[in-house]
Amino acid sequence: MISKLLTPKNLRNLIIILVVAGTLFLALSGYLTPLFSFSISPFISAQSWLAQRYLAFSDFFNSPRDMATLRAENNVLNERVAMLQSEIVALQENLAQSEILYTLLDFARSNPEHEYLAATVIGREVSPYLQYIIIDKGSSDGLRHGMPVVTQQGLVGRIDALIPNAARIQLITDANSVVNVKLQTAQVEGLVRGSVTGEINLDMVPVGNEVEVGDVLMTSGLGGTYPPNIFVGQILTMQSRENVLFQTGSVQPVVDFSSLSAVLVITNFDSINISPLIP
Amino acid sequence: MISYLFGFAGYLVMLMLQLSVFSQWKMLAGSADILLLFVIAWCLHDRSKYLWLLVLFFVGITNFASALPVYIPLIVYLGVYFVSRQIQARIWQTPLLGMLVLTFAASLVQSALTLGTIFVQRVDVTFADALNRITLPSLLLNMLLAIPVHALVRELAYYAFPKGVEA
Repeated sequence: MISKLLTPKNLRNLIIILVVAGTLFLALSGYLTPLFSFSISPFISAQSWLAQRYLAFSDFFNSPRDMATLRAENNVLNERVAMLQSEIVALQENLAQSEILYTLLDFARSNPEHEYLAATVIGREVSPYLQYIIIDKGSSDGLRHGMPVVTQQGLVGRIDALIPNAARIQLITDANSVVNVKLQTAQVEGLVRGSVTGEINLDMVPVGNEVEVGDVLMTSGLGGTYPPNIFVGQILTMQSRENVLFQTGSVQPVVDFSSLSAVLVITNFDSINISPLIP
Repeated sequence: MISYLFGFAGYLVMLMLQLSVFSQWKMLAGSADILLLFVIAWCLHDRSKYLWLLVLFFVGITNFASALPVYIPLIVYLGVYFVSRQIQARIWQTPLLGMLVLTFAASLVQSALTLGTIFVQRVDVTFADALNRITLPSLLLNMLLAIPVHALVRELAYYAFPKGVEA
């Protein structure tokens, strides 16, 4: 019976089935993986080489067109970025200017006894020994010589010279500037003088008056140069020497003169020139 | 004629730069004076006969924009003009040296005149403080800026004086 089944043909088929099954078994069991890898690696390498060459070949013919398109798009985008950046800068400048103007407006509303004209600072004095600024409003805007100039923080100075569309302001830090002041809390009066270095000092305070560091100084209105009750500064130090009639001190101005960008001119105050009365 | 126009326009540009930029660049309390530097550099390059007239224009413009008494720029700028004529005649081969020497001298003279004027106006001036905090820093800034301003005017001079400038 067996010899009848083991015909050469059946035997060949059986061997083939056993070989295939054995191979499948070995492959599924992982025993043929090294052999498979070893045999397939040349094909993978060849395939990679071919794919790379193809991509290079494809790029060689397609890239110039893509590059030109990309460059054009890049230029357009760069232009838009530059335009947007310039708009951002302009808007930031407008915002900063608006904030300053809103602050000045608040100050003007909270001090309704005066009429104000807002002006932008457009320049500073040439000489470092003098403390002046130039604003963009002049006599054609109704400004007159001697009008006081303030910010929301306090006193800045007074108009020294005018042309139709600009004015020069003498700051209270100028060496020739003198402001009559009083203490905010007590009826003590004195003078605040500027200096060549741009600092301000308190002077002519009679000995015996109680003046303390930190006291706030305001304009007294004496002399007719400035209206009363405008903040000037805060006392930093006081000196009282023997055998002198007056105390002196250094003052921290309330206005930051190094960063002045906009000011208010008090237009309804006429300063009085009393210099002819001074002997 | 064209050199006067160049000088006039250049001075106006320098004035705008001075008022808006250089007056705010402070070293201690001192600042550079590029108007003075421009006048010095221009006087060293310009050999025209009526340069003194242009210098008077410079004085007028400065007087218009600055609170300085008119005689200070008048003395300093005309002094620069006369000394520059001497320098052109004697050491014209080294214009940069002339620029530096004139910058040093003119800055000191201008500072002395300004301080003297303030002192005469009965203002209490601490000279040591003014020297340390204004004069010396301003002098340093002027000396530093003298070289670029000289180079700028030299370039400008090629267009202003088309027949050639030795400086």
